[in-house]
Amino acid sequence: MATQAPRTTSTVPDLAPEREVRWPQRTKTKLANGLQLILVESHTIPKFHGELFFRSGNAAAAGHGVALAEMTATMVRTGTARNTSREIEERLRGLGADLSVSAGQDTSGISFAGLSDHAGALLQLVSELAREASFPAPEFDRERRQKLEEVKLERTQPGFLAGERLRKVLFDQHPYALVSPTEEQVSAYNSEQLQSLYRDFYTPENAILLLVGDFEPSSMQEIVERVFGAWSGKKPVAQESPAPPRPLQRRVYLVHVPGAVQTQILCGCHAITRKHPDWIKLGLTNSLYGGAFNSRLVMNIREDKGYTYSPRSGVNPLRQYGYFSVSAAVRNEVVAASLTEIFYEIDKLRSLPVPEGELLDAQNYLSGVFSMGLATQSGLLSQISTLALNELPDDYLETYRQKVRALSSADVLSAARTYFDSANMQVVVVGDRSPIESQAALFGELKIYDAQGRLQS
Amino acid sequence: MKPLRIPVEHKKLANGLHVVIAPDSTAPVVTVGVYYKIGFRLEPQGRSGFAHLFEHMMFQGSENAAKMQHIRLINSSGGVLNGSTMYDVTNYYQAVPSNALERVLWLEADRMRALKVDDENLRNQRDVVKEEVRVNVMNQPYGGFPWLDMPPIAFRNWANAHNFYGDFADLDAASLADVQTFFRTYYVPNNAVLLLLGDVHSAAGFALADEHFAHVSAGAPPKFADPTEPAQSEERRGDVVEKFGTLPAMAIGYVMPQRRTPDWFAMALLDQALHGGRAGRIYRDLVLEKQLAVEADGGIDDIFGYNGPTQMTTRILHKPEVTGENTLAAFDAIIREIQEKGIGDSELDQLKVKWRSDYFATLEGGRGGYMPKYGLMHLLACFTLFDGEPQLVNSILDGFLAVTKEQVQKVALTYLKPENRAIVFRKPVAASQEAA
Repeated sequence: MATQAPRTTSTVPDLAPEREVRWPQRTKTKLANGLQLILVESHTIPKFHGELFFRSGNAAAAGHGVALAEMTATMVRTGTARNTSREIEERLRGLGADLSVSAGQDTSGISFAGLSDHAGALLQLVSELAREASFPAPEFDRERRQKLEEVKLERTQPGFLAGERLRKVLFDQHPYALVSPTEEQVSAYNSEQLQSLYRDFYTPENAILLLVGDFEPSSMQEIVERVFGAWSGKKPVAQESPAPPRPLQRRVYLVHVPGAVQTQILCGCHAITRKHPDWIKLGLTNSLYGGAFNSRLVMNIREDKGYTYSPRSGVNPLRQYGYFSVSAAVRNEVVAASLTEIFYEIDKLRSLPVPEGELLDAQNYLSGVFSMGLATQSGLLSQISTLALNELPDDYLETYRQKVRALSSADVLSAARTYFDSANMQVVVVGDRSPIESQAALFGELKIYDAQGRLQS
Repeated sequence: MKPLRIPVEHKKLANGLHVVIAPDSTAPVVTVGVYYKIGFRLEPQGRSGFAHLFEHMMFQGSENAAKMQHIRLINSSGGVLNGSTMYDVTNYYQAVPSNALERVLWLEADRMRALKVDDENLRNQRDVVKEEVRVNVMNQPYGGFPWLDMPPIAFRNWANAHNFYGDFADLDAASLADVQTFFRTYYVPNNAVLLLLGDVHSAAGFALADEHFAHVSAGAPPKFADPTEPAQSEERRGDVVEKFGTLPAMAIGYVMPQRRTPDWFAMALLDQALHGGRAGRIYRDLVLEKQLAVEADGGIDDIFGYNGPTQMTTRILHKPEVTGENTLAAFDAIIREIQEKGIGDSELDQLKVKWRSDYFATLEGGRGGYMPKYGLMHLLACFTLFDGEPQLVNSILDGFLAVTKEQVQKVALTYLKPENRAIVFRKPVAASQEAA
């Protein structure tokens, strides 16, 4: 500019030319014992982040009990052949490390982060947990009692109750229907069962080790070979469960929480897994619907009508099946009004092509946010984990943005018609039945449960 | 151990706006924050919850960017955004691909210069905020425990003791005139800092900051209410009803020393000794060993970000068969032990390694998944607004690493006293109904 005149222009500045997004190199190898290894450099802070994943979780253990892989994971850090629980925790602290062991439906895993200075010692400890957990009896008794209290507590959380009911409705007899054990099921856990799962699941042939951070790949590779090289163990036999039937017709499930001052709405239908060729198309469609702040659902029921604080939609990819869901916590008086708008926006996306400008905005959003993973070690690790666990192509990171930008409004229309299954969408509402029952019943045949999952009417 | 050398540059515009830039070209992403030095502590009396409601209003439109324009422009540039209201600051932040930097500065400058909202916007956001309070507090087990329960029990000055999320009657009473007054009083450039972090060169960043913000007029220096607490001479206790949860709970809060005093550095390590996860003394003793509690955690909330009375707080959910008094006695025994015996050399070494590691994690830490450098932004903002010294981000770690075990024991004796604490008992109604 020629002058120093103050600038109060009313026009939005244009975007500058984009700087190229360059993804770091991934070093992929496989140790002789079958352990897959992916190393990625990221020098943002003098730390590193890692995941040791096992490709078996609660679903693979469902024949023996509910959430067994999760209980096994809880036990892993409570003692090994060499160290007591207290020694493990103090070693972690002395290495500046954070560590958690957990399991979901499809995987079990050890997540960790620590100072690069102490990488070898932390990996040694991770290896010890993966190979030599000793399941001490007093620790098991304590963790089982803890678990009993946790399962009671979660039944007081509206979000948990809604999610649990939707999973039951969508997945029926399939293991994915079971998100949490009952108190009786927890009481029936026994340590031998967990140890047997541990031996089956925690093996190098079943594992992927991902490390992202401030290290030099070849020396990290040497450390990994030294620490994990002598480990051995086979891949467990895969457990396949029969496909759950897709629920037909819109039905409503009310979970009665006496005295609730708000209603948690959660709607859902079957969709696709991350490996499906339509995944990116559906992701873009979801982003337009309710996956971003600037989406139709948020604009409608938050910014226009003020029914709710945090409406959102998402596509939830489990390994075998995915499902689409919409959630909003709304005030009791507007349960029917909110459901009307939720379905209105779904049906509108199924009926009319999205205008070009709105489509472009959503494409820019998804491709921009995707690149932010580059900026932090934990963000990068989470993207690499998605790739590795879903066995996505090596160039997924590099090509994602082009794929998003290549989509048209016809693609969005077809994804909405195929996957936003409005007529067969299942509706869960969690709240006090008296102000909301008649509103909920407007949307389909109604069943009412209590917080313990017992059918009331 | 290499000393920290995060490049940080700092200038002040003629209108008093601080500008802080921390360039890092690792990723083509830039994080932009604006912090105003006003939080819910010093919001107007009779208007509890107003600072937070006002934060929502900052997304409702400005002179050249109508309602939703700000959000739409950030999302459609490939970025994410949010804001949050804290005790002593309110922040607005976005992370975007770096080619959208100027657009973000234009948006932030427009709403700093000329917020433009109406009654309809206010009604809408009042409804949204009430649902936020319901989803986070009123309809959740242990909602607001202890952050909303503790202040009225622990403190006597309204600034520290009121309901920060807001009584619904106060939210209802808030008017557009209140919005305008609050904006004119506190949202002036001379009460704010602009932060640019990531993919930006400092010279270019300062030039853009000047271009977009220099014309925002300075306001009168805001007058702040005095948050000083009258001296406390007795332990304070209070009960709160828990509507949904089944476990009895308690929170014990001790008033903290002033920021950046030698005691403050030592308190941070004492906090780590007590609350540092499963290795911390409180979790280890109450959950793992004595097995009285189901959850036991806590600590100093946002150690760098407070500018008035605050506490180190322990939060315990204990088993129904254990009484509150027995749980408290077990807690007190932990405190007594550290007061009498202090901590050992190897424990102190571990605490320092963990502190250093956590500090790095804070610097990089995102918020809600994708907000690179949120933590660095927060520290730079607090060090600028409270201390006038953003470079502290590179040196403050040394203070924690220099703490001795004698200092840790001394602050345990000085601050962890009954007459310096308050206790909230959160008592479930559900338990008694079930028994009936």
